[in-house]
Amino acid sequence: MDSLIRILVLAALLAAGPVAAQTDRAAEIQIKAAFLYKFGGFVEWPAGAFARPDAAFMIGVIGADALAAELEQVVAGRTVQGRAVSVRKLRRGESLSGLHVLFVGQQEASRLAEILASAKSQPLLVVTEFDNALSQGSMINFVAVDDKVRFDVALPPAERGQLRISARLLAVARKVVSSS
Amino acid sequence: MILQRSVSQKLLALVLLSTLAALLVAIAAMVAYDLRLYHQSWIADLNTQAELLARTTAPALAFDDARVAKENLELLRYRPKVRAAAIYNARGGLFASYAGDGQETFPKLPGIDGASIQGDDLVVFKRVINDREILGTVYLRAEYELYDRLLGYLGIAAVVALAAMLVAYALSLRMQRVVTRPLLAIAGVAREVTEKRNFALRAEKLSEDEIGKLAEAFNTMLAEIGRATQELEASSREAAREVSERRRAEQEVLRLNAELEQRVKERTSQLEYTNAELEAFCYSVSHDLRAPLRAIDGFSQALMEDFSKDVPEEGRRYLGRVRSATQRMAQLIEDLLNLSRVSRAGLARREVDVSELARQVAAELQQREPDRKVDLLVWDAIRADADPRLLRAALENLVGNAWKFTAKREHPRIEVGSLRDGSRVTFFVRDNGAGFDMAYASKLFGAFQRLHSVNEFAGTGIGLATVQRIVHRHGGRIWADAQPGKGAAFYFTLEPDGGQITEPAAEEAQAI
Repeated sequence: MDSLIRILVLAALLAAGPVAAQTDRAAEIQIKAAFLYKFGGFVEWPAGAFARPDAAFMIGVIGADALAAELEQVVAGRTVQGRAVSVRKLRRGESLSGLHVLFVGQQEASRLAEILASAKSQPLLVVTEFDNALSQGSMINFVAVDDKVRFDVALPPAERGQLRISARLLAVARKVVSSS
Repeated sequence: MILQRSVSQKLLALVLLSTLAALLVAIAAMVAYDLRLYHQSWIADLNTQAELLARTTAPALAFDDARVAKENLELLRYRPKVRAAAIYNARGGLFASYAGDGQETFPKLPGIDGASIQGDDLVVFKRVINDREILGTVYLRAEYELYDRLLGYLGIAAVVALAAMLVAYALSLRMQRVVTRPLLAIAGVAREVTEKRNFALRAEKLSEDEIGKLAEAFNTMLAEIGRATQELEASSREAAREVSERRRAEQEVLRLNAELEQRVKERTSQLEYTNAELEAFCYSVSHDLRAPLRAIDGFSQALMEDFSKDVPEEGRRYLGRVRSATQRMAQLIEDLLNLSRVSRAGLARREVDVSELARQVAAELQQREPDRKVDLLVWDAIRADADPRLLRAALENLVGNAWKFTAKREHPRIEVGSLRDGSRVTFFVRDNGAGFDMAYASKLFGAFQRLHSVNEFAGTGIGLATVQRIVHRHGGRIWADAQPGKGAAFYFTLEPDGGQITEPAAEEAQAI
């Protein structure tokens, strides 16, 4: 059934032409940017994750510049857990220190493990948007379901990163991986 | 018994009404309290529910997961009183909904936060806020059973009230005997006392309350009434005894009176008898005295005439004295006989012309002494109902006296008249003669009483006694008024007074 609907939707999209596809892509980035920002409200970081009491909430984006741009608009004037939100676009090899959330885009899918290696001991919420990401250390992975953006959650990496993901967030997750 | 029913019914009504009133107030208070509590707690409950839903569905809204939101709403299945629920997103669009029983229409736009009553439903809106951001709105619509509860309470109240009234009725039926029994006892005694008039009965005191005091007061009253009744009976017995005693005394008085009257009658008849005897004696003596007196007078006259030459001058003077004394004695006897006759003769009343009678008497006097000039005034048309012979004798004495005692006056004057006072007629004879001292008035009408010496005025002293007797025989009275040297007036009536008392001012007397 799902596949049928998918085919129909794809057919519709194809019929609508490149403009429609482009529009869908933009909407998807907007939604993902919004989600990325909102995750901050459902996750607890350990006390030492913030250098100062008024330290900003840092979201790093790598391999998804469009999303980073979108995210900067989303967080403008907003807060997460009472902190101002700051977005950093990262290049390959840049330090991850000071980040609280890291989004790894589709472009960097193959290098995920390499990126995460430098942040082993850091309480960092890792969000991805490609298959098999959860098995490589990602904690939240966007998936498309029925043309809607959903996400799966993997708890073991989060526990390793001393992060506590709220059960309320889990309630809206498509799939929760609780043990490896 | 009316009294019993009346008091019982009143007490019963009192108890039932009190019970009902208390019940109604209590139930009303309870219902009001409960309904208010229900209202508040139900609103609080729904608010909490909405808050919970808001918290629960916040992630679903945040991550645009209508399915999860729907699943969250589905949990309301365990709250059957919640009829419908919905989640609106931040733009006001319907995001997820739940309807307890099929078809449901949801508001197109969410309302502001808060609870409101809409018909039979309680509607609650609640903002979904996560991390200071409004994510959407929760909508809840639940049964609001205030009126149902109210109806239910009214039903319960009716049943409770009925039951309470029944219990109160049963209880008061038993308990009011405590009140009514002593009352009925008193009422019974009161009735018995009234019917049998037995004041020795007493009401039994069955309680120590006001009714007990009533019984005591009632008994005290009965005792008082009983005592008063006895006293009354005793006093009426005493009164009856006094009445009979008084009657006996009255009878005694009557008897004594009768005895007295009898005695008076006896004495009177004795007196009359004695009087009659005395008068008869007087008459016969007087009569018998005349014969020897005539002999003395006759022989004295013969001696003077036949032997005048043989009798010396001095002897003739003695004989003259004998004759003078004899004649005076004859006159005295004549008067005594007259007095006696007045008493003995019968009374023959008829109408008499007193004026005429007085004039005749005066004319005879004038004839006897032609030389005297007396101014005589006799009123005209004086009439009396009297015995003419006796009345003439009375006038002869009265007018004769006046004639006699005016002899030394230069202008003698005699008046005969009458005074009328109502039906009573008083006759009078008055003169301007010698008069008399009123101090002697009491002796005036006695026989042989003289107020002047024989040398001064001749007379026997029997005349006024005769007049008085004549007047008395007519049933009248006689009295006099006089001043020495100024004259005398004699008044008399010829009829009984009829109670009027005018004591005669009597006086003096001129000898007859």
